[in-house]
Amino acid sequence: MLKTITRRGFLTGISGGIAAAALVPRFTWAAERGVEVPGKAGMIVRSARFLDLEMPAEFFSSWITPVPHFFVRNHMHEPSTFDADNWKLSISGEVERPLSISLRELAKVDAHTITNTLECAGNGRGFQQPKVPGVQWQRGAVGTARFTGPRLRDILQRAGIKASGKHVMFRGLDEVPGKVPPFIRSIPIEKATDADTLIATHMNGAVLARHHGFPARALVPGWIGAASCKWLTEIKVLDQEFDGNFMKPGYRMPNQLISPGGEVNSADTHAITSLGVKSVIAQPGDGSSVSSRPLRIHGAAWAGEAAVARLEISTDGGTTWRDARLGSQQARYAWRLWDHVWRPQEPGEYTIMCRATDDQGRTQPQSAAWNPSGYLYNAVDQVKIHVLA
Amino acid sequence: MCSRNRFRPRAWASAVVWLACSTLLQAQSPELPTGPVQAKVRTACTECHDSHIIVQQRLSNKAWSREVDKMIKWGAVVDSVDRNAFIDYLSVSFPPDKAPEPGERAGPGKKK
Repeated sequence: MLKTITRRGFLTGISGGIAAAALVPRFTWAAERGVEVPGKAGMIVRSARFLDLEMPAEFFSSWITPVPHFFVRNHMHEPSTFDADNWKLSISGEVERPLSISLRELAKVDAHTITNTLECAGNGRGFQQPKVPGVQWQRGAVGTARFTGPRLRDILQRAGIKASGKHVMFRGLDEVPGKVPPFIRSIPIEKATDADTLIATHMNGAVLARHHGFPARALVPGWIGAASCKWLTEIKVLDQEFDGNFMKPGYRMPNQLISPGGEVNSADTHAITSLGVKSVIAQPGDGSSVSSRPLRIHGAAWAGEAAVARLEISTDGGTTWRDARLGSQQARYAWRLWDHVWRPQEPGEYTIMCRATDDQGRTQPQSAAWNPSGYLYNAVDQVKIHVLA
Repeated sequence: MCSRNRFRPRAWASAVVWLACSTLLQAQSPELPTGPVQAKVRTACTECHDSHIIVQQRLSNKAWSREVDKMIKWGAVVDSVDRNAFIDYLSVSFPPDKAPEPGERAGPGKKK
């Protein structure tokens, strides 16, 4: 999908975004002392500081996730102030002509739109057994949005990539507490120069919200969310993978299968890149009691850089499986919604499962490959429900 | 274009908004369970992050040891004589077999 946003529209949007940041938040105590998070609605608070918000399963009902329901994953403090007039994006390292681009200059570069399912590498960590440390996400550290902005490769080509340039590093404006290593990561040059990799300035047609990286973020489609650095301020072309905490030991998977709870040799690991094949059940909710017949079972399925080819449903705990209907809305890196109408024959307890298969022949496993950081959890999803008489 | 010395209302508005947001979110953080080093853990850990991320963990003593040592390396101020007490407190308060922490909803769409 290709869409152009005019320069005037972009700059108007930027002004609007700043105004909205100043005016929209109303810090009111919600019922039962819940806190209203500016720009967000109904989210599960996994962490308030740093802000980590999970989308509840029932919001998997929209192909494009509204920004108020889009998950937030912050490793550090969000930038406390922002000065649009003085913001610069620098491009340096293994390039012929290091340069620095203002927001106005970025707005002049042709913009493109990619509809992408963005998922945190740790989504589903809360289901890992034995438990591992980290944000205990369940299903909703994932969402699908239309991201718009210049192609990263167009900016890199202005600087001229040297033959020695093999990886591209991103640094954001996150504010680092204590001696915590800064959140800096890199991606290989091949992915950085792919036509679909963007410097996104817009999300769902509006200027990026503060929680999602205003004024610019990397958008590395099909890859784990950590690749898509927020509040982007520095791009550096490197002759090798960036050597830092969030590349190693962070965000790596063991090369060998590890027995649950086992130890990993850090030398025998690789950086996580693209997402696996995965699906989740939006409704009915786990533990719910339902009386409706027929019952609509629905959810979403995605596969990173691959395409979802099939979604199967079991209503008997995995003994038998039937194909669900895949939704008509699709884009290369976006999830497919799915649904299935089921007529339970009698009241009782049921375990409903879903499993996706992609066009590379990968099928969700019954149990996910355990790893000590709980990355890429993609086991068959299941909910237990009670069908009322 | 604004000069560096001019008053910039946008930047100030953003800073005030963020400060207010941080304060309210911090106030909403869960209480840590009572225990011999509860106050010290609260002081050392919530300097950088709130307690949500602590109370949702379900870890063995060995895993808590790794976490405490990582946080000390990353700047948490923990007296060396308190290290083992921190690990014991966290291991007893948030062990693997404890029921998961229910997720708290935020915002106007909060479920009753």
